[in-house]
Formats: sequence, C-alpha cells, structure tokens
Amino acid sequence: MAKQAAAKDLIFDPVFNDNPIALQVLGICSALAVTTKMSTSVTMSIAVIFVTAFSSASIALIRHRIPSSIRIIVQMTVIASLVILVDQVLKAFSYQLSKELSVFVGLIITNCIVMGRAEGFAMQNTVRDSFLDGLGNGFGYSLILIIVGFFRELFGSGTLFGITILPKKEVVDGVAQGWYEPNGLMLLSPSAFFIIGVFIWVLRTYKTDQQEED
Amino acid sequence: MPINKDSIPNTFFVATAVCLVCSLLVSTAAVGLKSMQDRNVSIDRKTNILRVAGFTSDEIKEIGVDELFADRFDVQIIDLDTGEIASEEDLKDCFDYLKIESYDDGLVNYDQFKASKSKVEQCAQKEDKALDIAGIKYRENFSHVYLLMDESGDNIEQYVLPIRGYGLWSTLKGFLSVKPDFQTIVGLTYYEHAETPGLGGEVDNEQWKNKWIDKQIFDPNGDVKIRVVKGKAGDDPYGVDGLSGATITSNGVSNMLKYWLGPDGFGPYINRIKSGSSSASINSTGGSNG
Repeated sequence: MAKQAAAKDLIFDPVFNDNPIALQVLGICSALAVTTKMSTSVTMSIAVIFVTAFSSASIALIRHRIPSSIRIIVQMTVIASLVILVDQVLKAFSYQLSKELSVFVGLIITNCIVMGRAEGFAMQNTVRDSFLDGLGNGFGYSLILIIVGFFRELFGSGTLFGITILPKKEVVDGVAQGWYEPNGLMLLSPSAFFIIGVFIWVLRTYKTDQQEED
Repeated sequence: MPINKDSIPNTFFVATAVCLVCSLLVSTAAVGLKSMQDRNVSIDRKTNILRVAGFTSDEIKEIGVDELFADRFDVQIIDLDTGEIASEEDLKDCFDYLKIESYDDGLVNYDQFKASKSKVEQCAQKEDKALDIAGIKYRENFSHVYLLMDESGDNIEQYVLPIRGYGLWSTLKGFLSVKPDFQTIVGLTYYEHAETPGLGGEVDNEQWKNKWIDKQIFDPNGDVKIRVVKGKAGDDPYGVDGLSGATITSNGVSNMLKYWLGPDGFGPYINRIKSGSSSASINSTGGSNG
C-alpha cells in the first residue's frame, strides 16, 4: 500500500470497486433489517459512516500502542463507545427514527464492515488515510442501503420518505382510490436479498474484474 | 521503537486508558442528553394519548403537545385490584422502589412497565399463566388513567387506558380510548411494537385504526366481546377486520383487549365508575354526543 494514497481513491474505491457489501459481502444483516423505508436507511447510513470513520481514525491514532494480544478488544471498545454515542444522540434529537431503528443502531457494533476496516486497514495506516477509508466504506455501505431502501419503500409501500409516489389501491368510504397494489414481499427481508443480488450481478457484469473464479 | 507495545505494563496501560476515555465519552453523552431524551419520551407519550383521543396532528401542532395535554387531560394513578384511585400511602412502597420522589412526580414519571418488570411485590404481581392471555407475565399494581375533560373542565369525555400484550414478535404497547360509558371505543393506537412491517406492523395503519371508532366493548352479559375477527367484520359492532397475513398479531390485539378490559385489568375500575357515578357518566356522554 502506498504511503499516502490519494484521498479520492480512498473514498471512492470502496463505493464501486471494493464495495463492502457488493464485493466483500459484509454487513448484510443490517442491510436487510433497516431498509424497508428510506428514512431509516438514510439515518442508518449516516450512523455507520460516522462510526466507521471515527473508529478507524481513533484506532489508527493509537495503533503503535495497541498490544496485539488485546487489539480486538480495544477495537470493540472504541467502536461500541461510538455506537452508544450515536444511539444517545439519535434518542435525543430524532426520537421517532431511533424508535424505528430500535436495536439496529446498537447492532452497528457487530457490523463486520466497521470491525473489518479497523482490523484490516486502520491498524497499519495513518490517521488521515484510515479516516478517509472509513468514510469511503461507510459510503459504500450507504449506497447499497439507499438503493435497497429506495426499491423496497417504493414498491412495498408506494412511498418515498413517507410521501406517496404510487397511490395505493384502496377503498376509502366506499370510493375506490389509486391503482398501485403494494408488493408485500418488498417489506420482508428476502426482498433485500434479491435487490442486493441483482445489484451485485449488474455491478459485476459492468466491472468484470470483480467476478470470482469458479 | 521506544516502547515495547506487547509488554504487560503497556497492555494494562492501554486497556485502562482506552476504557477511561471511552467511558468518559459514553457517560458524558448519556448524562448530557438525558433531559432531552426524557422530554422526547414524554412528548411521544402525550402525543399518542392525544391522538388516540381523536385530536388530529394539525391540532396538536398548532397548540403544542404539552399545552394541549395539560389543558384537556387529568391524570390519575389507580389501584388495578380495587379500581380505586391510589393514595399517596398506597403508592409509597412502590414509588420508593422505583425512586420516584413524590406523588406529583409519580403522576408524570411513574412508568408502569418498569413497575411490571421490577417483579417486586410492592409494584407488581405474577399473573396466573392460565389467565395471562395478554402474555405480560407480571401485572403492575398501579396504572395510569388519562381523563379527557370537556372544554369547561367539568365533565369527562373519554377515558384513555394504557394497554399492552404480546403479538407475534414483540409486546405491543398502546392506548385505548373509550367513552365514559366504557362501552364505545373512541380509538386504539400502538406506540411501540416490533411486528412485521406490512403485516402485523399494519396495526399502525390509519385506516385500520379508524375501524375501531364506535365499536362496542361489552355484550349485554357484561363480557368483553370486542375482538379482531378473521377477514371482514362487516356490520358486527363487536368486531374489527383482521389484518391479512397477521393472524397472530390480530389475536394478540384481541387478547390484550380482553385482558385489560377484564377483571384482571381495568375491570374493577370500570365497574366502580359505572356503578358509582352512573348519572354523571350519562350526562357527560350526552354532552360529548351533543
């Protein structure tokens, strides 16, 4: 790895070329759980970007002092503290969203992407590079979350950010309204698998170097 | 390298330092944001109570949650066993346990879920398995009741009762609002649950919630008859359409209504109100209808 990699590469590589979800297939669980709506997807994305960026930077800052015997525990402690911080801030400033995200904010701690970047990148790189790498991986994760959230909310509920886009077919006071029959499957976890699967397929068809050897 | 990072002293040093810094960060955030979080919880609860009593979100926004709530609602804490309003003495032991300082403090901050979870006899009693149809395990001794007063503040227009019970994945917590005859439902709303979005989660659906309006609770024998039926309820005054694909959540809703309106829930309170002040309740019903 180059001493000072270009900031642009550090940020954008994990978005398309080395996407944590699409290429490394990490962090799938929360991508299923919080993407039924755009508002929760975006909130979760911001939370993860914050946590990956700052945990990587903090780990990089003390990387020369971290004893290898307890390095995982140190990483976990830093990550967990940041996640609790995010959770507390959400509860104070965006109570409704924090209620909807419920345990999944807390579960960022167990998100493999955060830990993976701390252990795989921040332990060997400078604070600046680690911070940017954390940002980039956060963005990569967010991209998928937002794409999945977009399709799931649009086709599952006919809305985006809670605003009606496809009027739902329903009967109000005996009068038939709208035409869109919401696809209930979109609101269930398997649909996220399908969307992520299709996304990976499209991405790897376009960028053939990401295809794996049989 | 000047420091051997794998030495035992350094290991202890790093572990201690990381813990100190992190705990400082977390505790600062927790303590610093506590008042805002508590306020959010309280606003959320009040908003839900206002909504279940039929106030629209526009009305709530215009006047303000706290103002509207303070203006129109009276809060009581009742003893669920006797149905009487709990006195300061009754509540003392439980409040001591929950570290609630005064009766007035309790009116605002008494948390009946915490009381139920405490599992101590001052605050809650174990529910008999056979009777525990709502799946709550421990039932608190005391419950909040919110009374919606009319504009003049003399007559009671609605009673808002906190209810909860198990659905498919989670405990659904909500409020039921009824007219003073304890027969006609004004609204049912859930403010906390983790049912499947799109299926059981449709308990949040405004249209489904609207189906509860004006439904009847007790049959002529005095048994709780209101329930969620499978499929369409049609003209059944005691039935509400089931949520498709969510039979277990629907059953959970039926069961918790049966439980909380029955003898182990608000039954004694309802009986006391019905028998004690029947004339007053007729008057206020008339008032709210007129």
